[in-house]
Amino acid sequence: MRRAMRHRGAIVKYPLLLAVTFVGLLPYYWMVTCSLKTNANMFLVPLQWIPNPVNWSAYGEAWRAQDFTRYFLNTGFVAIAITAGNLLLASLAGYSLCKFRYFGRGALFLMILSTMMLPLEVTMVPLFLIVKTLHWPNTYEGLIVPFLVDGFGVFLMRQYLKSIPNELIEAARIDGASEFRIFFQIIIPLCKPALAALGVFTFREAWDMYIWPLIIVTKDSLRTLPLGISLFMSSFGTAWDQLMAVATIGTLPMILLFFFLQRSFIQGIAISGLKE
Amino acid sequence: MQGWPRIGKILVGAIATAEPRAPRPRFRLNLSAKQALFGYAILLPTVAILVIFRFLPMLQAFYFSLHEYDLIRPARFVGLENFIDLVQDPLFLNSARVSIAYVVLSCVPVWVLSLALAVLFNREIRAKNLFRSAAFMPVVMPMVVNAVVWTFMYHQDGVVNTILAWFGVDPIPWLRSSTWALWAVILIGIWRATPYYMVIFLAGLQAIPNEYYEAAKIDGADAWTEFRHITLPLLKPTTLLVMVMSVIVAMKVFAVPLIMTGGGPADSTRVLPLFIYQTAFEFFKMGRAAAMSVFLFAAVMVFTLFQIRLFSGGED
Repeated sequence: MRRAMRHRGAIVKYPLLLAVTFVGLLPYYWMVTCSLKTNANMFLVPLQWIPNPVNWSAYGEAWRAQDFTRYFLNTGFVAIAITAGNLLLASLAGYSLCKFRYFGRGALFLMILSTMMLPLEVTMVPLFLIVKTLHWPNTYEGLIVPFLVDGFGVFLMRQYLKSIPNELIEAARIDGASEFRIFFQIIIPLCKPALAALGVFTFREAWDMYIWPLIIVTKDSLRTLPLGISLFMSSFGTAWDQLMAVATIGTLPMILLFFFLQRSFIQGIAISGLKE
Repeated sequence: MQGWPRIGKILVGAIATAEPRAPRPRFRLNLSAKQALFGYAILLPTVAILVIFRFLPMLQAFYFSLHEYDLIRPARFVGLENFIDLVQDPLFLNSARVSIAYVVLSCVPVWVLSLALAVLFNREIRAKNLFRSAAFMPVVMPMVVNAVVWTFMYHQDGVVNTILAWFGVDPIPWLRSSTWALWAVILIGIWRATPYYMVIFLAGLQAIPNEYYEAAKIDGADAWTEFRHITLPLLKPTTLLVMVMSVIVAMKVFAVPLIMTGGGPADSTRVLPLFIYQTAFEFFKMGRAAAMSVFLFAAVMVFTLFQIRLFSGGED
């Protein structure tokens, strides 16, 4: 009886899982296989599910059409800088808000928290004007500095630090350790899981950033990969093989990030929704 | 997230036994003032960046919403004119309507599907990691790539129409028709958001103690009763959170409609953030765009306040 029930469950479960897998992976499969098709075979009837002949030239051609190496390096540099800034500043701020007592602490925390309701889509117009006043359009500063810290990261680090006992810090102080030493040698190592999750989360968002570079970058040498890809689409709209090749390369770092840091990747997302 | 408490305790223990706690020094006030100073100092960069790049822009958004400004001539005060114009502007009203349609039509399926997937993945499954990773992959794809690849897949002779043909559906002119384009954008939104919230629901599900289910089994409850009377009530905080988060994210959708349709055909996919962007950076009407931002801000704020309340529920 029990076994029969379980059997019935499996009949529903596994086809469902296969369907989910199909839907989840189809765009990836399509992107990669079509980057290897010749443009003439792109919309054959019936559709070609396996590229024949396999054609690698799209990668080289796309790379020659635009300076994607530069875009790739730009994106990497900007994303790493933003991630590093967020890890350092959010853990410092979270540590300050969690473990120190001073006048105005609650108000400052509320203020930082309230920035979470000021998304870029709301503030983009005046933010552009501010960055323009600073002469930062078409600079790395303009791409990086406004995003060096974010309310969510501070909130996350503060919550995580709550679980670190105050006695630990007190004891180190009595031992005569300097405040900076306590932070870098005791606090930071204990925060590793939270930092890993925040780091992967931030890197993913920074790699994805589109609206802001679109607003402040007009020089080709400053373009990031998302900008380069969308530009390529609007100027070479019918070279689908090359477009898919570029898309594949742009996705690769995220896939590597996911496979090597899967735990942190998923934890970052789980944490973005949890109260603890 | 395991591991560290043990190490912490060992460390505290070692230090505590090596050196008994000294009596409080007399200059305690002085010491804590120094500490407070350190606390301020390490908070300063964060506060400075957030004030300059978040709060100042918000205040300026209010300021410019009362002005006419085209980036060239100096801003001219016009009072509430921008707002009055907006409320009468059919393009703005259309854009607000499109945004609301997008939020409602993408979020409701996302809630149902992400919860269903989470429940599915919370059961015993062979090769669970493999299936779960596959289901999660939409989150991994960068947003712009996502838009580009789906544009290609939505082509008249593309793979989406081919698959629909297996089920006897006639080809759909996805991005060329003002009735279908919004649905095309919505489907991508669902595809990408579902696994994200699935992860959050999974975290919520795993926090439900197994004893409840065991007790229900002993009482002879079937799967639906279990879901209805244990899972759903205990998942309520997570569900509320997912609802609020997904609505906020959906209100900000931008890259996909911009790249896929540019807001068309016939304005059918011109969501509010896209309209703000175009008003400001294609038509250089900064004041009017700022007034629209104020509308969007009000909508986001209502939901975020709700989210923060959920976030800090059960806190001191």
